[in-house]
Amino acid sequence: MVRKNVDISSNVKLEGRAIWTLSADGNNKVYGETTRKKRGDVWRRWDPYRSKLGAAILRTKKDPAILFPSPGSTVVYLGAAHGTTISHIHDHLCGKNNKFSGRLISVDISPRCLRDLNHLAVRRPGIIPVFGDARKLESWSYLVPKGADWLFQDVSQAGQVDIFITACKRFLRPNSTALLSLKGASERFNEGGDQAIFLETNEKLLNSGIKIVESIELSGFEEQHMLFHCVI
Amino acid sequence: MKLWQDWQAAAVIDENFEILEVEYCKRSLNKEQVAKRLNLLSSGVLLEEARHLQQRYPEAILVDSGDEFLENVELPYPDDERMKILDEAALILSKQNVDDSASDPDRRLEHLIRASDELRSSWVLLEARLIEWVVLLLPRARMEEDRNRLAKIIISSETISDLANHFNVTPPNIPPSESEWQVIKKWAESVASLQSQLDRIESAVRELSLEHLPSLSAIAGPLIAAKLCVAAHGRMRLARLPAGTVQILGAEKAFFSHLKQGTKPPKHGLIYSHVFISRSPKPVRGRISRMLAARMSLAARIDAFNGTSWGDEEFRLIEEKVEKIRKQYFDSKKR
Repeated sequence: MVRKNVDISSNVKLEGRAIWTLSADGNNKVYGETTRKKRGDVWRRWDPYRSKLGAAILRTKKDPAILFPSPGSTVVYLGAAHGTTISHIHDHLCGKNNKFSGRLISVDISPRCLRDLNHLAVRRPGIIPVFGDARKLESWSYLVPKGADWLFQDVSQAGQVDIFITACKRFLRPNSTALLSLKGASERFNEGGDQAIFLETNEKLLNSGIKIVESIELSGFEEQHMLFHCVI
Repeated sequence: MKLWQDWQAAAVIDENFEILEVEYCKRSLNKEQVAKRLNLLSSGVLLEEARHLQQRYPEAILVDSGDEFLENVELPYPDDERMKILDEAALILSKQNVDDSASDPDRRLEHLIRASDELRSSWVLLEARLIEWVVLLLPRARMEEDRNRLAKIIISSETISDLANHFNVTPPNIPPSESEWQVIKKWAESVASLQSQLDRIESAVRELSLEHLPSLSAIAGPLIAAKLCVAAHGRMRLARLPAGTVQILGAEKAFFSHLKQGTKPPKHGLIYSHVFISRSPKPVRGRISRMLAARMSLAARIDAFNGTSWGDEEFRLIEEKVEKIRKQYFDSKKR
């Protein structure tokens, strides 16, 4: 589906099938992405093949802007990995030198990933790296005392949905957006294949009182993945 | 009555969701101090403020910060200025955590074991080519006895005739040109250097493994101990695995084909290379590996939870037990 050019926010724009974010860190690339200069500003291209959120923005049939947090809010990102998606969210959420004063709490359990995130956080104020387990919220929840407005989870391990539901209940204020990137292959083997796993997840989310706005199929960019766009 | 704390304040709350008393940290905190407090907080320790309140209200019970009870309470959350310090402290804490993980012997052992696996697979490849190469040039040479030293012999030979003399055969009618011979010699040099690097890795593994897993090393040997620890993703996880899993660690392919296709289950995984198993007759290997895995699992637990290390005495007991199993269940005269 080819769209016209859309400005999602002052720092994010969609041009056909390309997403660009205004770099908050000048010319420095984060993961070897394409950059281009425009009137002294540096824009970085968001690679949908390496970021599930990027893929979802291209695949959604609704307004992609509703997938984003509002700039300057507090957001929680579980499964931050090396900071590929994080860097683009940071462009949008915090801007240069954190001028919107957003807080991007990026949680990961792997020390190797945290090392990269720490380097990223030094150059991009607003990213708060957390060495923690998405299943043990109490050990780092003091970082989000007043709750968050947006949550993204990409942890690909068994029991992803339960982690998601607990985290949503714990952190999110009413009417906030929560995104769950579900990897079918991480769940227990199911006779009905991935579709059955996705259906089961759907039901589980609805039963716990979470409204699903859209389930976005990511095949083409990321196989066996579904991104659930929910509202608490 | 409940007691609540975060990194800069503590509060006592009664059953009607009313806050009875709040104590803030009055000192101005810098980011290093906050990082220290956060570290304590995540290990569940009562901070200074909470301790004071606890003294005054001994009946108050500490609640988890995500408790549903707290939803209706106006808690003394940090102000904007303190939130800023918190963010800086979080970065410091995260850096410290990454630093701490570097001193984790599990991760160092993992690198060593993986390095030795990678090196060994390339060494096997290069060494096999060297043998085939020399056999092609000197088809009559018998090198079964000298196989381990072949690389060194080639390095010390000036020409192909020297090498032929060493094996007491005639050099080839059309000898390789000087440049070709140099290629073979350099090849032998890289085989020899890989071999010595492999030895170095193994002695490093031994050293680390004896220190990190003393009991397991005592009964399984340091190399198997290290491999088990890496296969289980760490000493603590190895200690928590049931003995049945320890028995088949490293035989995942056979095990899952057993689960999915109904083939025979594997009797042993990595522990197969233990002499008690590989040198036992086939019919009793299953019994012995079951017993051995149980002992190894115990030993891993001793190592992980700082028990008194096992030594030669335990090894001797296991040896006796292996002997007993062999005698009881395997009769060599019957076959």
